[in-house]
Amino acid sequence: MTQISALFIDAYRELNHRRLFWITLGLSVIAVAAFAAIGNDEEGLTILHWSIPFPLLSTNFIPSADFYKFIFAQLGVGYWLGWVASIIALVSTASIFPDFVDRGSIDLMLSKPIGRARLFLTKFATGLLFAGLQVLAFTAASFLVIGFRGGDWEPWLFVAIPIVLIFYSYLFAVQAVIGLLTRSVIASIIGVLLFWMLLFMVQTGDGATLAWRVTQEITTERRAERLDRLQGISIEAEDERLRLMDLANDGDEFAEQDLVQATDESDLLAARYLAVQEEQADELGTLEMARKVNGWFHLANTVLPKTGETIDMLGRILRDQTELVIPMRGDGDETIRQFGEMVGPREFNERLIAAQDESHSYAWVLGTSLGFEALVLGFGVWRFSRRDY
Amino acid sequence: MVADESNGPLAIDLHDVRKVYSGKVEALRGIKMQARRGEVFGLLGPNGAGKSTLVKIMLTVVRPTDAKGTILGRPIGHKKTLARVGYLPEKHRFPEYLTGRQAIEFAGAMCGVDRATRRRRGSELLSLVGMLDWGDRKVSTYSKGMLQRVGIAAAMVNDPDLVVLDEPTDGVDPVGRRDIRDILATIRERGTCVFLNSHLLSELEMVCDRVAILVQGEVATQGTIDELTAGSRRYEIRIAGPAPDWAAEAGLEVCDQGDRGTMLVAPSPEAAKVQPLIDRLRAGGISILGIQPVRESLEDLFLRFVHDPDTGSARPPGAASVPRKVPPSMPATQQGGDA
Repeated sequence: MTQISALFIDAYRELNHRRLFWITLGLSVIAVAAFAAIGNDEEGLTILHWSIPFPLLSTNFIPSADFYKFIFAQLGVGYWLGWVASIIALVSTASIFPDFVDRGSIDLMLSKPIGRARLFLTKFATGLLFAGLQVLAFTAASFLVIGFRGGDWEPWLFVAIPIVLIFYSYLFAVQAVIGLLTRSVIASIIGVLLFWMLLFMVQTGDGATLAWRVTQEITTERRAERLDRLQGISIEAEDERLRLMDLANDGDEFAEQDLVQATDESDLLAARYLAVQEEQADELGTLEMARKVNGWFHLANTVLPKTGETIDMLGRILRDQTELVIPMRGDGDETIRQFGEMVGPREFNERLIAAQDESHSYAWVLGTSLGFEALVLGFGVWRFSRRDY
Repeated sequence: MVADESNGPLAIDLHDVRKVYSGKVEALRGIKMQARRGEVFGLLGPNGAGKSTLVKIMLTVVRPTDAKGTILGRPIGHKKTLARVGYLPEKHRFPEYLTGRQAIEFAGAMCGVDRATRRRRGSELLSLVGMLDWGDRKVSTYSKGMLQRVGIAAAMVNDPDLVVLDEPTDGVDPVGRRDIRDILATIRERGTCVFLNSHLLSELEMVCDRVAILVQGEVATQGTIDELTAGSRRYEIRIAGPAPDWAAEAGLEVCDQGDRGTMLVAPSPEAAKVQPLIDRLRAGGISILGIQPVRESLEDLFLRFVHDPDTGSARPPGAASVPRKVPPSMPATQQGGDA
């Protein structure tokens, strides 16, 4: 325990020594101050004592407390902590492992009565201190802002701390192992940013192909309903034609006249049915393709850590636990064109969220991501334990 | 000559330590070495002889291919034993954000020393190494000599039974070296084994009780300096004028030194055997200008072992594929510590 606390105190001293840490903390303070300066009222958005008419953000549309929580989850955590502060943190902590395994420094550490695996994992944990202190300060300040300005003292906000730490740990694990293998700060930074870019592409691909798949599912379901309707109408038309034919055969002149029209109508319906059936076959082919492509992306996404989805969990948790109203685009009933198909945004959003909840559960997001991290760290421990310095 | 338990408990007792690096570089080829508690033990050897590898194996920084033996009575690689070992690596690097005191206390904490003891020991050791006034300044402001002093203090913070110092006087001025020698003497007096790895032979000669010379991954010789240089001990008699006629007959080597007279070398380490020669010189009316006992210096001893007797040039670094040849002047009992 003495050794572990010594390593953490040493890590804090190191952070204290780094200008980037204080610069980032300063920027966080500015971000929270800006957060405190904005608000919403019945008219719309407010900045200090100025009011900007913006009905979508008025208290009629989104309550003040939800407004702040939404801004905190989407902008504060989603963009500031999830992107900007994390990039700064990765740059700032990139030298931790290359410095750690540097000759003259590693000898001092390895010659102490502490196992290599424990030393490596503790050093890794101390590297999370940068992100941990940043998110702790930002969340605590935001909690106060939301309490005082929004009138809602929401303890669930603090779930942001483990979420951001977990998110950051995926990336830092990769950075640590690159630093361990290459002993290069530049390689650590470039490597982890490229890896993050790969994750972003895979997650975007998974999300986009899931949306495509849902769109295709809606389209094919609608087309199937249309086919059912057409089939019913066609059967009715055919029945009518047969009835008229029987009457005409019995010498009914009126029926004979109507038979021509009924035959044309029946043929037309049959032709339309066949055309829609062909379209449906194409759509089913596209749906199959969408499912297959989404399956590939989903598999890749399953294997890799899910940075974006981990950060998005905060919004999901706040939505589920605090009934946060998250404004969504396209809540209307009008249909819009999406992936070449006409869909209703409300139905699409509901179906998409349901599909995401089904295939991207909390357990899946965290379990598979932490599994990947465990593999990376396991490799790091193995390499660190077997290497001569 | 190999140390044994009868002369005091062994701090280091290595047998058959081997290290083959990837690429089939055989850095160590069956090292056998012993060092006792309460002695300063010097490890010598040319570059690439395997000294650092051996030290790092003892400190678990490098994993041996094969190693038998003990460090402080526990098997090599036993991590908990390292709590009783202090280590100053060559070209060590303390983080620049630490003060000297923090660096010492951090080393103590990593050895599991409790907070109060670390604080107390920190001040004591800063005082011991003459850095008390600088202890609360950042190490980034230190000179090389200051870093070495703090490094030695950090190696001592856990009150170790074995201290391994790799080039402790590297970059240190003569005054600093003398101070470090005094510190080493203090450490030895406490019953600690000091294991020194250094290139500065004159420094080692002044402080070491026993030395080992490592050549091409093997112990060429080890023992006390007196033991190792016993074969070279002699008396040098300087006289005025030329050598007497009977000099060669009496087994004396003659060396004409011009205006400074003639040097007669009696190849005996015993004073009693020199007395008749002195009497004979006096009886012959020859003026004796000086008499002194002489022995081979550690540097001479070192050079004797690191030079290939066939070629006369220094052996190449690392483990050679050709089996090492023992210098012809070396007594058989000194080889490889197998006395």
